[in-house]
Amino acid sequence: MIRYRNRAGALRRIAAVIAVAFAPAVTAAAQCPEADAEAMQWLDKMSRSVHQVSYHGVVTYQRDGQDMQVMQVSHSVRDGSSSEQLTQLTGQGAQVVRVDHPLDCVHPGHKLLRLGEPAQGDYCGLARHYRFRVTDGDRVAGRKAVRVLITPRDMYRFGYIMDLDRKTGLLLKTTTVGRGNQVLEKFQFAELSFNKPVPDSVDINLVHQAQHPVPSASAQPATLSLAWQVGWLPQGFMATDSQPANAGRKTFTDGLAVFSVFVEELDREIRPGEGMFREGSTTSYSRGLSLEGAPLLITVVGEVPVNTARMVADSVDRVR
Amino acid sequence: MSEQLRESLSALMDDEASELELQRLLKQLGNDAELRATWVRYNNARAVMSGQEISHPQVDISARVRQAIDGTPAESPSLRERLFRPLASFAVAASVAATVVIGGQQLAQLSGDEAFSNGTVAAGGVSPVGMVNSLGATTVQASYGTQSVPTLQPAARTAYGELARQRMEMYMQEHAEHAALNSPHGLIPFARVTEIRE
Repeated sequence: MIRYRNRAGALRRIAAVIAVAFAPAVTAAAQCPEADAEAMQWLDKMSRSVHQVSYHGVVTYQRDGQDMQVMQVSHSVRDGSSSEQLTQLTGQGAQVVRVDHPLDCVHPGHKLLRLGEPAQGDYCGLARHYRFRVTDGDRVAGRKAVRVLITPRDMYRFGYIMDLDRKTGLLLKTTTVGRGNQVLEKFQFAELSFNKPVPDSVDINLVHQAQHPVPSASAQPATLSLAWQVGWLPQGFMATDSQPANAGRKTFTDGLAVFSVFVEELDREIRPGEGMFREGSTTSYSRGLSLEGAPLLITVVGEVPVNTARMVADSVDRVR
Repeated sequence: MSEQLRESLSALMDDEASELELQRLLKQLGNDAELRATWVRYNNARAVMSGQEISHPQVDISARVRQAIDGTPAESPSLRERLFRPLASFAVAASVAATVVIGGQQLAQLSGDEAFSNGTVAAGGVSPVGMVNSLGATTVQASYGTQSVPTLQPAARTAYGELARQRMEMYMQEHAEHAALNSPHGLIPFARVTEIRE
């Protein structure tokens, strides 16, 4: 009897080893309970606050050694839709507006942040790719904040320190952190008020209507003769909108980071090679190559480490 | 491969490489099939160490890596080359597998939870360089190091760096349109656009 039980135990252990080796989904599910429920709830609240709160305020943006940019941001919710507006107070003096964004229009990036809206049938969601910890936050724009520390579980994304408004869940401050605790970029509200009309005394040089690519329908016409796909994405990333295989751009998000892949068909041979440029948390990586005789320039632009951009560019292949 | 190159590869993956180091490495990667294969192996090793599945077999031996390894100049491959080619591919595949096994064993030691301490991935003092080094990388090196590669003009390095800079400028706004809808920052990603166009 004892002997039998031992054997069964051994078999179970072997089965466990096999499961770990061959079914990564099982391991991931086992990791899931580690997810910080409090943090996930705050992220959920943060994502929903965008659709619930009317506010306007002043935001500062800093990266590298550059001058601080200052902008006015406003957001209003009315009759089932939201309108938002960003006005630069320094630099170019441009304004970006988005009007009448339906509240029931939830893009993949936000779905990934929300509980109970599994975007990829994955209930663990972000917790599979980041570690979370909730602590007390500093005061930001006069508001009491809760701080969510977000550390990547792999090397394909950056870390974040997010300070959220305790009352509304609104994101008040984001610090993007690279390897070795290097601060790459910082957004922060300097002033914030709720439910007040937007003051309009700003000189605006240019108004840009923000685009609204719908996740289910492809807005962009097919532009290339080449049908292509990315063969690899860091885990947890998904397309932000559906694009034809021969689109010039495809964008991917894991809920926190976003990158876009651009493919250009060149009219003559390019010397194979690659190069990169980085500004704040944004990487631009370009690779010139020939794919089955077709000279291409592949560029990845996004808030991911250069190694990630390189991996993605390396996996671009023709669709047959 | 030189020790310095291995270190640079590691730095690239840790996002700790200096601009100069990166530009130099990217130039070499564009030219060197072996280096590219090594980089793929390092990525796989790291993926396993950080508890990720290897979800991208098409990258392990991706079309281009395979092409770089298998592909020979169109004009008359020598007998030696024809004999060696399948062997080279096999050697790469084998070394990937070996790396994965070791990576899996290290996994248990690597589940520390330290926010923003330096060690999410490379904790435990396990160097992927050492790992790959001890796993037959030299065999691989010997079997497909004969690849002929197009020579890059010295100017190409800066040219590609400049190209990447221009492309960032060109594409940033389109990228920001999507980042604005798919990250928690609302319209703020537009602050990254150098010059907003109508």
